[in-house]
Parts: sequence; C-alpha cells; structure tokens
Amino acid sequence: MTTPALAARSVVVRFGGLTAVDGVDLDVDDRTVVGIIGPNGAGKTTFFNALSGLVTPASGRLFVGGADLTGKPAHVFARAGIARTFQTPRVFADMTVAESVRFGLEFAGRRRRAERASLAEVPAILDFLGLADSAALPARAVTPARQRLLEIGMALATRPRILLLDEVAAGLTHAEVEKVARLVHRCRDELGLGVVWIEHAVAVLLDAVERVLVLHQGRKLAEGIPSAVARDPLVIEAYLGDGAAEARP
Amino acid sequence: MRLWIELVVSGLITGGIYALVAMGLNLQYGLMRILNVSHGEFLMLGAYLTYWAYLVMHLSPFVFLPPLLVGLFVVGLVVHRLCFRRLAETTPEVEAFEARSLLVGFGLMFVVQNVALLVWGADLRGYQYLAGTVSIAGVGFTANRLVAFAAALVLGLGLIAVLRATLLGRAVRAMMQSPTGALLVGIDVRRLHPAVFGVGLALAGAAGALLSMVFEISPSMGEPYTVTALIVIALGGFGSVTGSLLGGLLLGVVEAIGMHLTSPSLKMVLSYGVFMLVLITRPNGLFVR
Amino acid sequence: MARRGLAAVAGGAAVAAALPWLLDDFLVSLALSCLMYVALATSWAMFSGATRYVSLGTSAFFGLGAYVSAWTVAAAPWPVVIAGGALIAAAFAGLAGLAILHLRGTYFAVLTFGMSELTRHAVTYGEKQYAGTVGRVLTVAPSSRTVYLTVLAIAVAAVGVAVVVRGSRFGLALIGIGADEQRAQTLGVPTRRVKVAGFALSAAFAGAAGAAMAVRWTYIDPTAVFNPFIGLQTVLIAIVGGPLSLTGPLLAALVFSLLAEFLRLQFPYAYLIALGILLIVAVLYLPQGLAGLWQTRARAERPTAAR
Repeated sequence: MTTPALAARSVVVRFGGLTAVDGVDLDVDDRTVVGIIGPNGAGKTTFFNALSGLVTPASGRLFVGGADLTGKPAHVFARAGIARTFQTPRVFADMTVAESVRFGLEFAGRRRRAERASLAEVPAILDFLGLADSAALPARAVTPARQRLLEIGMALATRPRILLLDEVAAGLTHAEVEKVARLVHRCRDELGLGVVWIEHAVAVLLDAVERVLVLHQGRKLAEGIPSAVARDPLVIEAYLGDGAAEARP
Repeated sequence: MRLWIELVVSGLITGGIYALVAMGLNLQYGLMRILNVSHGEFLMLGAYLTYWAYLVMHLSPFVFLPPLLVGLFVVGLVVHRLCFRRLAETTPEVEAFEARSLLVGFGLMFVVQNVALLVWGADLRGYQYLAGTVSIAGVGFTANRLVAFAAALVLGLGLIAVLRATLLGRAVRAMMQSPTGALLVGIDVRRLHPAVFGVGLALAGAAGALLSMVFEISPSMGEPYTVTALIVIALGGFGSVTGSLLGGLLLGVVEAIGMHLTSPSLKMVLSYGVFMLVLITRPNGLFVR
Repeated sequence: MARRGLAAVAGGAAVAAALPWLLDDFLVSLALSCLMYVALATSWAMFSGATRYVSLGTSAFFGLGAYVSAWTVAAAPWPVVIAGGALIAAAFAGLAGLAILHLRGTYFAVLTFGMSELTRHAVTYGEKQYAGTVGRVLTVAPSSRTVYLTVLAIAVAAVGVAVVVRGSRFGLALIGIGADEQRAQTLGVPTRRVKVAGFALSAAFAGAAGAAMAVRWTYIDPTAVFNPFIGLQTVLIAIVGGPLSLTGPLLAALVFSLLAEFLRLQFPYAYLIALGILLIVAVLYLPQGLAGLWQTRARAERPTAAR
C-alpha cells in the first residue's frame, strides 16, 4: 500500500465554542481529483485552511507525503507541496501577472526544484493557463476570471503535489466553468497533481471529479463516486432548501 | 483606614477624568476606526480656553462649560471635514485607513500643541476656583476636586444614557458592533461620523476644563492623557463606552494605590507594561470584538 | 538597476565624505543631521515601507544605541561601540518583534510607540536605581570628523543594504508580506522569520546611528535620546519622501534637515506646526510620497515618448 500524498485524520477545528470542522478524514493521491461539496457554513473553507496550515486543528493529524505536519505554519505546508487558491482571489494587486507567478517560484517553488521539474519558468506557467498576453499587466487590472486563473498560476509556481481549489468556478459563466474543469483535468493528467476542489454549485463538480466528499455542519456526511453520492438520501436532504435548486440547472 | 479612603477617593477623582477622555477616544475609534492620538491636545485646548474665560471674562468654569462643549464640537466637525473625510473616501481598506488616520493624528498633535505653545508659552498656569476644603469621613478634599469628579461622572453617565436610551444612540452602538448595520437602520453615516468625532472632542475638552480647576496646566499636558486613555480603552474594551467609564475609574484607583505602594518613578514603566501586555496577549478580546 | 543605484550611492558618498574639509562647521552639522535622517528613514522604509507594518519604535532603537555608546565609549574602540549599538538594538528589535509582530495595523503602530516609551521609562528607572543619575556626561569622544564619517558610513550602508534588499528574495518576501501576508505564507514565505529579521535589520541602523550621534551631544538623558519625536520624524520623512522609494526618503531627509536647522532655532513652534501640517498633507494627498510625483509623471510621459 502506498502512502497518500495528503492525508487528514479526524481533523477538528474550533473557533471559540463553535466547531467548524468535526472529525473529518480525507485521503488524496497523486493524479486524482477529489471534490468537496456542502451547503454554506458546512466548514469547507475552514477544512482547506487546516489542510494548508493556515489554522491549526484542535485535534486530528495532517500528513503530507507521509510526514506529520500537524501544527506547522502554512509555509511548511507550501514547501511540502500543498498549494491553494482562495475563494475571493488574493492576488498581489500591485505586482504584474508575471511577477505574481514568479513569487511562488522564488519561495516554495525554489525549495521543490528537486521534486518537480515541470513548470519551472514563468512563461511556461502563463502559457499553461493561457495568461501569456496579460503577463505585463498589474494583477489588479485583469478581469476577475483571469484573477482566478492567476491565483492558480501562483499556486502552480510553488511546484505542488496537491492543489487545493476553493470555489474557482463561482460566479463564472457556463463556458468559463467548462474551461476551469478542463484545466483541472490537465493539472491532473499533464502535471500529475492530486487536486481537491471545493464548489458550492454541485453539478459542475460532480461531472468533473472521481470522488466526492460531502460536508454538512462540519461533519462528513457521505463520500464516494459522484453518481452514488448524488443519490444518497442524506445528501439530498442536506441540500434541500439550500443548494439543491441552484445546483441542478 | 484614613489613608485608604484618601487613596481611593483621589484615585476615583483622577479616574473620572481618565474615563471622560477615554470615552471620547473610544467613541471615535469604535465607530470610525480613527485612533485619534491628538485627543489629549483637545483636552489641553479645553483647559486653556476655560482658564482664559476665567481670567479674562471672569466666567466660572461651569458657566463656560456649555459654550466650550459646543465650540469643541464644532472644531471636531471642522477637523473631521478637513482631514478624515477625505481619508475615508480615498482609503476604503480598513487596515490602511487605521494606519493613515493614526499618522494624521500625530500631525494634528504637532499642530495643536505647538499652536498652544506659540499662543500661551510653555509656562505652567493655573487659577483658584473652589479651593476650600470639604471633609468626607474625616478626610479633607478641596471642593474643586469633588465638583470635578461629580461633573465627570454626570457627563459620563449622561453619554451612556444617551447611547442606550435614544434611537440615534442605539444606532451608534449598533454600528460600533458592525458598520453595515448603519445601512439597515438608514442612518446617514456622512453626517453621523463628523458629529460623533465632534462629541469625542467635546468630551476631551470637558475633561480639560475640569482638570484646569484642579491642576496647573501646560501645552504639553495632553499627551499623557492620550496614553492613559489608550490604556483605559485596552482595559475596558475597544468599542465599549461603558467599559471605558469603569476602566477609567479603576485605573485611577489602581494608579493611586500603586504609586503609594511602589515608587512614583515606576508608574510609567508599570502603565506601559500593563498596556503592552494586555494588547499582546488579548488583542482580540480588547481591540476587536 | 541595483548596480546603477549602488554606483549613484558611491558617488554621493564620495562627495559627502569631502564635506568636512570643504565647508564650515554649521554646514557640516547640517549635513550630519541630514545623514542621520537618511540612515533612519531609509532603514525604516526598508522594513515598514515594504511590509506596511508602520513602526513608531525607531526612537527606542536609537536611544538604546545611544546608551550603549554612553556606557562603552570610554572603554571600547570606536567601531566596537558602533557595532555594539547596532547589535543591541537589533537584538532588542528581534525579541520585541517576536512578541508583537503578529499584530498588524494600528495595534502594531501603537505597540511600537508603547515599546519606545516603555524602554525610555525603564532606562530612566534603571539609571536612577543603579547609576544614581538620569543623565550621563560623555567626556571621552572621538573627533567630530570621525563622528561625521561614521554617520556617513552608516547612511551609506543603510542605502546600500536597502538597494541590495530590494533586488533580493528577502526583499521580495517583505513586499509579499505587505501585499497579502497570508497569501505570501501559502506560497512558501516563512513570514514570521522574515518579519523579525527585517525588523531587526532595520533597527540595527537606528541603533548604530544612535551610538554615533550620542557622542555629539556630550550630555545625554533618556528624554533626549528616546524622544518619540525622533521616531515620528523618521516616519514623516519616509512617508513624505515615499515609503516604497529609495530616492524619495533621501530627498525628504535633505529638505527636513534644512527646514530643521533654519527654522528650529529661530521658530521652534512654527517648525513643528509646519511638520504636522506636512505630515497631514502628505498622508492625505501624497500616499506615494514625493516619489509618487515623479513616478506618476514618468508613467504619464512614457506612452507619449513611445509614440
């Protein structure tokens, strides 16, 4: 049995008296796409914050490539190969698109040269994302859809093993969402990444992932292949009145 | 026993002044995120204007208090219009706004303090008002100190009453909890912000007027009170006006007792030490709710 | 860019080094105070300009450096005194940074201000308790030319280091922290270490400047060397000059030392009022500082020239 690239064991995150994530397990291997869905407030983003080291779990363990990184700061996770995007794009507003991408290469990416040879140059990353023509523009000046791509580019520049995508398709048009899904598959197939993809709009995600995990009120409600999870009565109930209507176009 | 009564009462008297200064500063920070470090300068201005009214126009400080409050309120409107309105418009990001308004506050501090030095000179000044002695539980206090304390308490409690009982006051309190609340209750923030800034300065001015009845005044008197107000706010909670009242009184008493038990030269070391410790260890409980 | 910058610094330094032999005492002392503020403002901007952690603690580092100088100048060689001031200030900033650099914005500014006041009162108290006096008279002091050249060397080092830092990964990390600290961390920047190192590095120059300037005054006390005004004027110069530029603070330091020398003695209050107004105007209308003026113009002119 091989060690998973990323493994979360009974992760619990608390804010004051509120338990945002309550004993969630997750295994992600290289070259797979795992989806996480759940109604608003299910703890999806908080779970990502734990997976990327931005919050420290109250209990539970996090392993990256078999190494226990629980309690380590976020840059250690980045250097171990965990890259992420944020729900609202957090690009460096005053840097150009090319400079923003270079940033990741200079820090976590530099440390990970030995692990990953791919995407070693800024132009290669910009080409991969189709952002080459925006290279010299300030990050603040590109469209929100392109800022999302840039965020992925900044993440890829860290030469990750695992890519965490937080609602990268939110607010995009149908055609743009299709493009994002294709990009996710290319990250898996061409770069060999394990991708964890959070999305609130469920339909997009179910079509694109191999395995899906459903969070509800901080707990894991179901996990499995998308077609089975979509039929799960518990899942349907959790979504009724929240995401069900908008999720099924 | 006599000594303790004396310590507590004189601590409460200074504490009342601290509370007034801190409440005004807290109102400004809580509502607008302006940490106005020039707050103490307006206390000094209030003290000098009261002194001037007493000497030149022979007005009792209490007769002069209402016009003083109105005057400093108007000064507040003007300062807000000239400095902070533009800053709020050009700097929407809260963190950057806070840092910049802090620097503007330092600029104001230089300007107001040195204008006062230019006009009145650096000498200590004072006047005699209600200097007779009143005895409480066998301990003598000068009447002006007791009157100043009573006035500070009335003003402080009055402000809290206004904030709790009136619709506008409740709206202000709601907005100190969440800025978006203003939109919900339909309050015009562009009018409210200058007004609340003005109220803050008026309170500082009142504190200065009361101080001038008791202590000698100088153009550099304001700065320590700004620092004390920051400490009081850190203790009583940022955004909590009632906390500032209680925190001010408490600090006054603690300081009086602490100075008696240790050496007075340790006072500033201890104040700053406590202040930093509170901020470092409980920033979320005290600076942010 | 870095090479051209360093060449300009070297040229400027060569001219400045000749001044004590060319000018009268008054002008040399003017140049000295200008160089001191160049060192302070440049090193301040290196950390606070890039990271947007506005520090009001420069006077603490300056004062510590001055006291290190006062304590050791009679016993130790001059370069050791200066290095001691720099090291003590850097070590102090490193420790303080560990405690307060997790707080941003107003908290950080207020805490650094508190830190410098606390240091001042603590030194006052310590001197009273253990030395019996508050002030110290410095009887042994190097010649005024030595002091001038030392401060020049510190200023040149500050500018040189600032140029090198800008072109380095360390400098990039500082900029990333200023732009979005959490984002920078998720891209692999060890933010805490970078912040503490940057804060300490910047403090080292203030400490060195304090150590060098202390002997100029012959008598020092905490009120003078821990004067919060030193920290505020440093921030003012850096902000008026442009917190993200190198030449801006240089120019602003020159303007302010001229203003200070000519106005402060005759019209001290008017000088401080002018400073206050300048600070407000700079914050309100020149967020990029004086440097913003020519940078915007350069940007506006570029397309025209290309056509």
